[in-house]
Amino acid sequence: MSVSVSSRQQILDRVRGGTKSVSKPKEALAEAYAALPRDYVRAGRLSREACLELMIERLREYDAEVVECTPGELPAAIASQLALSGKHVFVAPPALPAEWLAAGFDWKVDHDLTSAEIEVAEGVVTAAFCGVADSGTIVLHHSDTEGRRVLTLLPDWHLCILRASQVVETFPEYLGRCQQAPTLVTTISGPSATADIEMTRIKGVHGPRFLHVILVNDQGA
Amino acid sequence: MNFGYLVSAMRASLFITCYNDTLFPETGRAVVTLLERLGVELDFHPKQTCCGQMHANTGFRGEAFSQAKRLVRLYQDTETIVVPSSSCVAMIRDQYPGLIQELGNAELQQQFRALLPRIYELSEFLIDRLGVEDVGAYFPHRVVYHASCHGLRGIHLGDRPWRLMNKVRGMEQIALPNLDRCCGFGGTFSVKNAEVSSAMLAVKMQDVMSTGAEFCTALDNSCLMHLGGAMHRQYAGMKTIHLAEILASTEAAPAEALA
Amino acid sequence: MSHTANHPVLDPRFAQPFPKAVLPVLRNPQLRKNVAHAIDVIQAKRAKLVAEKTDWQELRTAASAIRTHALENLGFYLEQFEERCTAAGGTVHWAADAEEARKIILDILHAENASEVIKIKTMTSAEIQLNPFLEASGVKAYETDLAEIILQLGEEEPSHIVVPALHVNRSQVREIFSRTMGLKDLSDDPKELTNAARNYLRQKFLKIPTAISGANFLVAETGTVVVVESEGNGRMCLTLPKTMITLAGIEKVLPRFQDLEVMLQLLARSATGERMNPYNSLWTGVTPGDGPQRFHVVLLDNGRSSILAKKTERQTLKCIRCAACMNTCPVYRQTGGHAYGSVYPGPIGAILTPQLMQMHYAQSLPYASSLCGACYEVCPVKINIPEVLLELRSQVVNQERGKFVRFFDPMYLGLRVASVLFSRAWLFHTAQFFGGIGARLITRKDGWIHSMPSVGGKWTQTRDLRGFPSQTFHGWWAARGQQPSKEAK
Repeated sequence: MSVSVSSRQQILDRVRGGTKSVSKPKEALAEAYAALPRDYVRAGRLSREACLELMIERLREYDAEVVECTPGELPAAIASQLALSGKHVFVAPPALPAEWLAAGFDWKVDHDLTSAEIEVAEGVVTAAFCGVADSGTIVLHHSDTEGRRVLTLLPDWHLCILRASQVVETFPEYLGRCQQAPTLVTTISGPSATADIEMTRIKGVHGPRFLHVILVNDQGA
Repeated sequence: MNFGYLVSAMRASLFITCYNDTLFPETGRAVVTLLERLGVELDFHPKQTCCGQMHANTGFRGEAFSQAKRLVRLYQDTETIVVPSSSCVAMIRDQYPGLIQELGNAELQQQFRALLPRIYELSEFLIDRLGVEDVGAYFPHRVVYHASCHGLRGIHLGDRPWRLMNKVRGMEQIALPNLDRCCGFGGTFSVKNAEVSSAMLAVKMQDVMSTGAEFCTALDNSCLMHLGGAMHRQYAGMKTIHLAEILASTEAAPAEALA
Repeated sequence: MSHTANHPVLDPRFAQPFPKAVLPVLRNPQLRKNVAHAIDVIQAKRAKLVAEKTDWQELRTAASAIRTHALENLGFYLEQFEERCTAAGGTVHWAADAEEARKIILDILHAENASEVIKIKTMTSAEIQLNPFLEASGVKAYETDLAEIILQLGEEEPSHIVVPALHVNRSQVREIFSRTMGLKDLSDDPKELTNAARNYLRQKFLKIPTAISGANFLVAETGTVVVVESEGNGRMCLTLPKTMITLAGIEKVLPRFQDLEVMLQLLARSATGERMNPYNSLWTGVTPGDGPQRFHVVLLDNGRSSILAKKTERQTLKCIRCAACMNTCPVYRQTGGHAYGSVYPGPIGAILTPQLMQMHYAQSLPYASSLCGACYEVCPVKINIPEVLLELRSQVVNQERGKFVRFFDPMYLGLRVASVLFSRAWLFHTAQFFGGIGARLITRKDGWIHSMPSVGGKWTQTRDLRGFPSQTFHGWWAARGQQPSKEAK
């Protein structure tokens, strides 16, 4: 497993040689980058209500189930969703609030669960980092409440708890919420899907086939 | 009808283009009829030949250089140039800048920069320069308009053709499905990749024929030569006609194509 | 060439010229129907979602500028990516050409004792013909994207860069799956077929500890890799294995994380006509406890740096592989992808392939376009494909025109002669005169030419040509006495 120094040098030399007449000196690079045109829409234009409505509408277009509740109602809302799913074995990220782990179900909290253990779970409950209304996207940064990547991948049913305050309208607004660039990101826009056979959209290939979202109104009524 | 009052002493020179000169002189005659009716004092430079598009598009850049140079020099003192072919205008606007820059002749570049804004495609000339939409035309027929790629995407004619057609008396317009799809002509493409070109033509012919129009019109005789050739081969019963000929047509002097 | 599979490989070095290669396709109505159906569906979806985006042109402008800036300063950004990725626990390899990339990957697989590998769809791996090489070296590669499974099991070649099996219809998929998976009772319902693929792969995802991916983007600022997908097979390959190998062209680098807000919005809408594709995965080196703990990136040049060196052609490398150009291309709509003889078909393939081949092969591809400009109009990063096509055509002519065989080639001869004729009006007019006489000899009574000699015969295969008029326009003008007539009746 050796780094081929000669090829590295050769490629970089050719790249630098080929761009000599247009490349900027290192010191001037940041300035040149800052001058790039960015006239696209960054901040959303919708009211809070309209933004949340759009998020719900987009999620439903993806066939995701969406329910709304207040922070106080959340544990009950989770329990109700779990009950409606008809499933019993659920995995949960390690730091998921204890009151979310509804009684009467078989919970496997992820303290180094193996893939095989996660594979036999029927569902997963997680928090999220952000929701983007424009595209109905749920963003996971895989924190201790959002879970490792494998957690939201193998179980066929995913219940995601999204707080209204986490919902932004545009994708650029999501990036604006990142204090620093995250190292792991998964964005989910509807359940896994394919259109590879005659462009017929089929829901549910390898990722979870069922996405449920509880939107928690944490910004006051 | 005399529209001379619309424009006083507007002068323009007609660049007919090589293939119109050779194969479609009726289009040139129609432009003359139309513009003179509108009071334009029209001129024709006898030394004109070709803009170089065929060479440039086939990869013969050296040859295209000399034709670009020739055209710029020929028209350096001309006030306004009218071209009834959007693909030739697209050639001048899209390809000349690169060609002329590459030639590296500062004087020529200067002449070209000065010339460029004086070159008008026919519908641009009518609408942007003369400011007319109603040219007093009468053409009592069902017509489908084919938007040539160079008119549509090359020089962005936009709604100009429709603004002119909407004012033609007696004419029924039928919309062409898949308006923005190429007819498959593409200059030497039509012989270099004849089979693909023919397949594209077949698809376009289906759309064109589905309109049931009597005439298919466009602002490029090159596409019309392609479509017309297929219509004639297939006994399709539809004819092609350059939009200039429709616009020139009046009750008293109908288009030559109707003869 | 070392491939074991007994089917044609899309290799520009052995491909037929485009005008010849299209012939079997044009005679295959089923194939043409499959292709036209698929791209009509994607195009309609794309058009709808682009229309709703009020800032589409601004996004394109930004994307074009970002990609141009990244390419112009690629040396800096490549090194920055290497540094940040390495700092995050990844290992970066550099491959000057396809052979070196294959060897690097095989060496990693040998070090891992891997006899099997799972793969996420990557056109770059098809470009370097990785699968046949691995197979010949004793490593079984399993494609996991549904379209790629169809191709792999059916021993077919990709015909599109986003939907590689769009030329195969459901009954053909049913036949392939039923034969290779031993599923006798499989129906041709896409849902059932998709499910068959899910079952076929599930255990492989869980058992095979080594994976290969491509990359949609590399972020220099953070050392992050981005993979865009729909099915979740990508997430499986990126998450479950112990070792991950990412193969990426050197041009895939974006300067900063923020650039993704432009690129991801454009890519999803352009590629599949979605506001956002179901999954985007971003990872940075190795994350303890989450995903592969050994991570390699292979940066591939394979002709890219020579494209980078040329002013007009450089924009080719801005491409983000959305395939919008092929979906809108009227030529591709007729021919599908195989006729291009390359894993990169359509307009972008017509400019990229000959350049990757250093203009030694695929010289017919720059001519595989009517120059209609639809590709440029839809390109999310504003690659002026017609401009590059013309540049490459002139390079082909420069290569060819000195050759003896081209001296009598009717096209070359005709254009050379035409150039002389256009240089003087009197020569042009004389040629019109004699051309008119010649044309009259072959004009029928109906005033049309039904059959022409030489290259003209290509025209009259399917169209007639109206006979030459008796008077040219300039002849008419001269006869008119050059005085503007007042009375236009």
